[in-house]
Amino acid sequence: MTNDTTSPIKGGDGTEKSYPGLETPELITIAEFIQQTLPFNDLPQEILYPVISRIVIQYHCQGDVFDAQTPQRGLRILRSGAVELRDSDNKLLDRLGEGESFHIAGLNAERGEVIATVIEDALCYLVPDEVYGQLRDADRNFDRYFSGQRNRRLRRAARYQPEPNTMMQEVRTVMSTNLLSVAPSETVQQVAQAMAARRVSSAFVVDNDVLVGIVTDRDLRVRVVAKGLGSATPVGEIMTPDLECVDGSETIFATTLLMTQRRFHHLPVKINGVTRGIVTTSDLILAKQDDPVYLVQHISRQHDVQTIKELVSGMANLMVQWVNSGMLAQQVSQVLTAISDAITVRLIQLAEEEFGPAPVPWCWTGFGSQARSEQLLGADQDNGLIIDDSVTEAQLSWYRDVANFVCDGLDEVGYIYCPGGIMAKTDEWRQPLATWQKTVRKWARSPTPAAVMRVSIFFDIRCIYGDCKLAQRLQETMLDQTSRNSIFLAALAANVLDTKPPLGIFRRFVVDRDGEHRSELDLKKRGVLPVTEIVRLHSLAHKIAAVNTDERLKALAAEKHLTIAGSRNLADALHYIQQLRIKHQCEQITRGEKVSNFVNPRDLPKMAKEQLRDAFTIIDEAQSSVRQTYRAGMG
Amino acid sequence: MWHLRMRRLAYQRRIAGTALQACWQAPLPSTSSDWRTVSFLVADAEMSSMDANSGELLSVGWVVVENGGINLGSAQHHLIRAENSVGQSATIHNLRDYDLIDANTRDHALGRFLDVAAGKVLVFHNAALDMAFLNKISRREFNAPILMPVVDTLLQEEKLLHREGHVLKPGELRLQGCRDRYGLPHFHGHNALLDALATAELLIALASRRSVGRPLTLAQLL
Repeated sequence: MTNDTTSPIKGGDGTEKSYPGLETPELITIAEFIQQTLPFNDLPQEILYPVISRIVIQYHCQGDVFDAQTPQRGLRILRSGAVELRDSDNKLLDRLGEGESFHIAGLNAERGEVIATVIEDALCYLVPDEVYGQLRDADRNFDRYFSGQRNRRLRRAARYQPEPNTMMQEVRTVMSTNLLSVAPSETVQQVAQAMAARRVSSAFVVDNDVLVGIVTDRDLRVRVVAKGLGSATPVGEIMTPDLECVDGSETIFATTLLMTQRRFHHLPVKINGVTRGIVTTSDLILAKQDDPVYLVQHISRQHDVQTIKELVSGMANLMVQWVNSGMLAQQVSQVLTAISDAITVRLIQLAEEEFGPAPVPWCWTGFGSQARSEQLLGADQDNGLIIDDSVTEAQLSWYRDVANFVCDGLDEVGYIYCPGGIMAKTDEWRQPLATWQKTVRKWARSPTPAAVMRVSIFFDIRCIYGDCKLAQRLQETMLDQTSRNSIFLAALAANVLDTKPPLGIFRRFVVDRDGEHRSELDLKKRGVLPVTEIVRLHSLAHKIAAVNTDERLKALAAEKHLTIAGSRNLADALHYIQQLRIKHQCEQITRGEKVSNFVNPRDLPKMAKEQLRDAFTIIDEAQSSVRQTYRAGMG
Repeated sequence: MWHLRMRRLAYQRRIAGTALQACWQAPLPSTSSDWRTVSFLVADAEMSSMDANSGELLSVGWVVVENGGINLGSAQHHLIRAENSVGQSATIHNLRDYDLIDANTRDHALGRFLDVAAGKVLVFHNAALDMAFLNKISRREFNAPILMPVVDTLLQEEKLLHREGHVLKPGELRLQGCRDRYGLPHFHGHNALLDALATAELLIALASRRSVGRPLTLAQLL
């Protein structure tokens, strides 16, 4: 029966179904899977079924690599597992999972050397080259898909590309469409007011629907104010006439060249002969998308949560690039904090657009790692809202609405709700200044270690938006209450001493014994937090207003509360552990894994193990000094 | 492999001129060969009872693994005409007496099987059961057992888990249980060819894992 061209298989109802072209009916299970993948879904059965028997099933383990030298050539369809595509510069082009396919030679034709690496053990259906070629010859849509797909991949790749490729994008992708048109008869003052209202740096001068010139910030300064012309001067007299324009399909590269050569700062962009936008020199600088500055700037231009979310969705990959290009851990966390600050600020502005201006002064504050500018990927929210004491009961709803809007937005973008509820969304952490101060005094009066642990992150406080004097006054109250309050400091010290550095009596690493990470070390819990807590304790004791750990250490050394060596050692220990943590996270991102803070000390090179042990020894010594200073005589 | 040759000697005379002799004449792979250079015939059978003495073979399915990959072109499925009613077992394998009316005779299926098996290593998930049935019809046909090298994916997995100090839970050595450990997708079983295909995927998965960064010889799989 295997020689029959028509093979019957029993259907669920006992009737026979036949699958013309399939060598044996059982292969329908494979045919059906392939039919669900692109572009095989459009391939007629009479073309697909006869080639099923030409397919070879292969299994590839994590780390296996496919490149131009791989002997068995063809289209590989992933039945399970995952594969990553990178170019010769090791830039990530794409990640593929179940049902997706790749063809190395095809990709190479467009991209140069492409290397595919298995990142999760994969079962592949290999359609050998001669069969793949036959299918492309037999079906035009099928063939077109593979040419089209390469272009799609190319665009996705460009997102991760530094300068050269970004510069080849069309200029229309970066132009601003927020255009202001004025008539030549309008006065320079009217135009300046309109520009200020729209927050633009240029305006088109349009006469009877014809673009006749442009006026920029610079023109108002150089041609009006500097020359002493009156504010009633018609704009037509000072505009730049006979405009040079660029076509929207021109590359960013060519446009940049034109603008530098001709010294233009503004250039109108035409699409199909109609002026549709304008590019400025700073737009072009921002086109360098892997620059963190770009991300921060662009966040402030978004108009809804969804576009912000899309903008920061590639943050993990960007972090890998920054680290690969040599950015240090402290800088990475500064940049990541700058990004979350920018998102917070933008969300607040959007909330203000929705709910109107605030009834009385207020400020949005970040706590914990955001306040310290020490955030990494996957940070949750820790924030609060301080309201001026003049607020009335009826006005409080505005702050509740804004807090909900911002916290919900942050969660949507990826900064998940604080599991402990330390968020402006929670009524307790959205209070007038006087209530905040009362709460702080209460903490300081009856400090139990458990209570101290719960509130310690409030002592890392930074104003993100609004009237920063409110945050400053709250911080002053905090410092007044805590410095010289030896009972409070002793409770805080007990908390600091609670986490022992993982150095056992045999100077071997002690690793967490529970759960999924049984033989692994939590770098955040065992390394970063202890340093942060020790430094916070010293700072509160000595009324240091800085919150960033490095800045606190510098201030403590400058005021001689710590020795220069002691301060520097703690900074080094923190930087080393953070660097290790970031490097580890980058590797996890590259492998397509979830980011965690766990490392297995056994997997570290000998040198790194030694350095990590040094770092923990420093923390151990710093804890001893905390014990002597703040808990002397308390055991 | 030498003990297989020794045991075959005892039957040489009886099987002269049969399909079994033709199968035996093909050279056997060396046990020191890398697994990717060995050809495997991965098979599965459905029977009317788990007991080879009372049960009958109802269908055989197989697929060939070469160069470390499964050739779908080699997939075959043979229904076998039963002498007795399939009885209650129909609920498991979905083969009813009616379906087996047009089926092949035992000797036809065995002949095809031996044609393909020549020079290959046989692979089953729980080989003892399938081999008992295959040997039963081979004895009836040729007065000799099949005597081919056999890899048992179930035993391989059991050994591996045992070596890792793993305490076995029920069901962990079943075909899908083993496949789960290699991230292999769920499959619809109880069809001899689909089970053979699922076993072949398990074979290449376990052999690929065990040959990461080091060679894996046939001897290590036997």
